[in-house]
Amino acid sequence: MNKLGVILGVIVIAIIAGVAASLSASPSETVNLNMGRTHGTISTAMGSPILGDPFAPITIIEFGDYQCEMCYRWFHTSKLPIVENYIETGKANLVFIDLAFLGRDSFKAAQATYCAEDQEQYWAFHDILYNSQEHVDDGWANSERLKAFAFSLELDMELFDSCLDSGKYSKRVDYNIQQAKKHGVNSTPTFIIVGDDQEKQISGAQPFSVFKQVLDTMVR
Amino acid sequence: MTSTLNLVFSNSKYLLLSIVIFLTMLIGLLILSEYIFLEPYVVSHIQSGTEFGFVLIVMISALSALVLPMNIFRINILKKSKQKMGGGVFGSIIGAAAGACSCGPIGFAVISTFGSVGATATAFLTNYEIPIRIIAIGILAITYFTTVKSLKTECKFIPNS
Repeated sequence: MNKLGVILGVIVIAIIAGVAASLSASPSETVNLNMGRTHGTISTAMGSPILGDPFAPITIIEFGDYQCEMCYRWFHTSKLPIVENYIETGKANLVFIDLAFLGRDSFKAAQATYCAEDQEQYWAFHDILYNSQEHVDDGWANSERLKAFAFSLELDMELFDSCLDSGKYSKRVDYNIQQAKKHGVNSTPTFIIVGDDQEKQISGAQPFSVFKQVLDTMVR
Repeated sequence: MTSTLNLVFSNSKYLLLSIVIFLTMLIGLLILSEYIFLEPYVVSHIQSGTEFGFVLIVMISALSALVLPMNIFRINILKKSKQKMGGGVFGSIIGAAAGACSCGPIGFAVISTFGSVGATATAFLTNYEIPIRIIAIGILAITYFTTVKSLKTECKFIPNS
């Protein structure tokens, strides 16, 4: 009886430990599988995974290019306080949509982020690109460097290389560019902030104070 | 040099033209280079690391505002050739173009219209924005000094003539 009790106890503990382990190992980001995803009037289905709470009342849609200097400026100045004050607090979330127009490497860099998304590292790859930006088309975002970034993130290189070399996500990036054009976006970075019943646009690498003013009027 | 400046800008028409050129170029370039935003609120800010670019824009605007009216004066009053005007106009245009073709609507329009050729040109103007602006300032400065020199020579008062 005691022996049976011990065995049952071990099984129960093993099940509890297994469930706990699987919960704690949940990925920090999920692959975007919602092909019908929209925010306001904008289809974000082919955009990035959502950064922050998917059910946050406000969505900040950023249209950007990885080679754009102004996007780099915004990433290094206004984005951090927005993440701290609005995204981490659940007031807003953020989706990135590629408007890859500046040079030949912009398009490849955008595809590479989705190859990283396959391995649940979209935002880490996105961040590494904006931390490594140099001049337009000077080689900092060519295929070799993109693979080197993937290697530094310890991605499965076989998967990543085949994804990037095959152009698996070229249509996805094309779709995103078309979405941007469809909504009249003609510069990067451009932000469309979607609330319950309103959309507001901010063009350019504007300071945090502007975003705060706009977001505070939309947060209820 | 001061007397030459007095000669041109004592005429209120040229002074007004200079002010208009300065303000138009300054505000236009500051908007294109994202030092000033008009929407959703009028905001101006200089991000750290972009101070030098701001100073170059002020210098290009100021030099253009000096050089262009002086050359127009030279052509109108002294009926001289338009040759020296070229340096001022060229300096102003390349100084302005360097900042205009970045990630903004002008760069987007150029690339959308001209494809890979437009993208290459835009990439060049973006990558070498600061050196191009410095060259533009050099051209404007040279044009300024040659204009002052020629005005000094051409405007000498000869009593018996």
